[in-house]
Amino acid sequence: MTDDTRDDREERDDDCEDAGAGGLEDDLLEEELRQAAAVLDPVPEALRQVAVDAYALYDLDARVAELTFDSLTDALPVRGAENVPRMLTFQAGELSVDVEVGEDGLMGQVLPPRPARVEVLSGPGPVTVLTVDELGRFTGQAPPAGPFALRLRTGGEVVVTEWLRA
Amino acid sequence: MITGGTLPLTAYDDRSYTRGESVERAEVGALVRSAADGDAAAWKALVEGLGPLVWSVVRAHRLSDADGHEVYQTVWFRFAQHLGRIREPDKAGSWLASTARNECLKTLKNLNRLMVTDDPALLDRVCQDSTPEQAVLDSEEAAAQSERIRRLWQEFDKLGDRCRRLLRVLMASPPPSYQEVSAALGVAVGSIGPLRQRCLKRLRARLQARGAT
Repeated sequence: MTDDTRDDREERDDDCEDAGAGGLEDDLLEEELRQAAAVLDPVPEALRQVAVDAYALYDLDARVAELTFDSLTDALPVRGAENVPRMLTFQAGELSVDVEVGEDGLMGQVLPPRPARVEVLSGPGPVTVLTVDELGRFTGQAPPAGPFALRLRTGGEVVVTEWLRA
Repeated sequence: MITGGTLPLTAYDDRSYTRGESVERAEVGALVRSAADGDAAAWKALVEGLGPLVWSVVRAHRLSDADGHEVYQTVWFRFAQHLGRIREPDKAGSWLASTARNECLKTLKNLNRLMVTDDPALLDRVCQDSTPEQAVLDSEEAAAQSERIRRLWQEFDKLGDRCRRLLRVLMASPPPSYQEVSAALGVAVGSIGPLRQRCLKRLRARLQARGAT
């Protein structure tokens, strides 16, 4: 790639450039890029609408359980192992939720153990209710496709895990 | 009094915009507070005003369309979730930009783990066709400008990674502040100006080499 080589050389040569002269020219070129982006690579309309609709997810009454562990970033990769389930831990005060997302689905537990109603949210739309036992262990048939959050109702309180991608 | 729907439009359309310390950022803070108080129009204004920045961050990281779309949604879902708890509402743009960056990096990390980085969609991004705006551009009287924009985009797309990433974020509309660019790319605010200058110079040189001045 001869272009890359040239670019690298230019990058070094440019370092002593006078800042004042090209200022207006730079602003104009950036503005042209802005127009090009607006035409050739705008926010897709469907996504814009999803973001507008996401306001429905604003819920002042729910506590947010923050992501405190994610095996994707916090654990060492397992060499040679494929399809290792993703382990997640969410925390809201004394309550935590352990979740394991694998190919076959989703399972987890509310800690300390307690009965709860657990729903999987996948956006502002309808929710999927999971089966939970009396110790707060739950399973879901299919792994979430796309962004998801869990909503827990336990002891008169509502807790929602931070949104993330499965 | 914030009326949501109209205020941000005038703020963002203001051409006397100055980078990084503008009135517009205070408006963002007001919009966040209004949305947190239940004003849906304020939320919509935030999506209109900051959506292009989030999208730019996603595009700057060259995710596949499917991944990019999911990251974009995740960022807004999380923003809605945290709306009432954002510590510095004036800096919501930086919050969104850095959340988008983190999700992009996570996605790239996951891809590396799954060894599918030879996905051609990742390595060879092409710009999307057939937006409504493009249809207008394709009309005959606008053909010349359309061609010019296409050439500009092609040359931009051939820049090295660092420059392409920086410029893709800078070209969000309305123009992001350097604080937002810093949050979007994980680079120091002070390094953005000099790098921007260098990258624009390289782009200009490319255009001139093609005879497309």
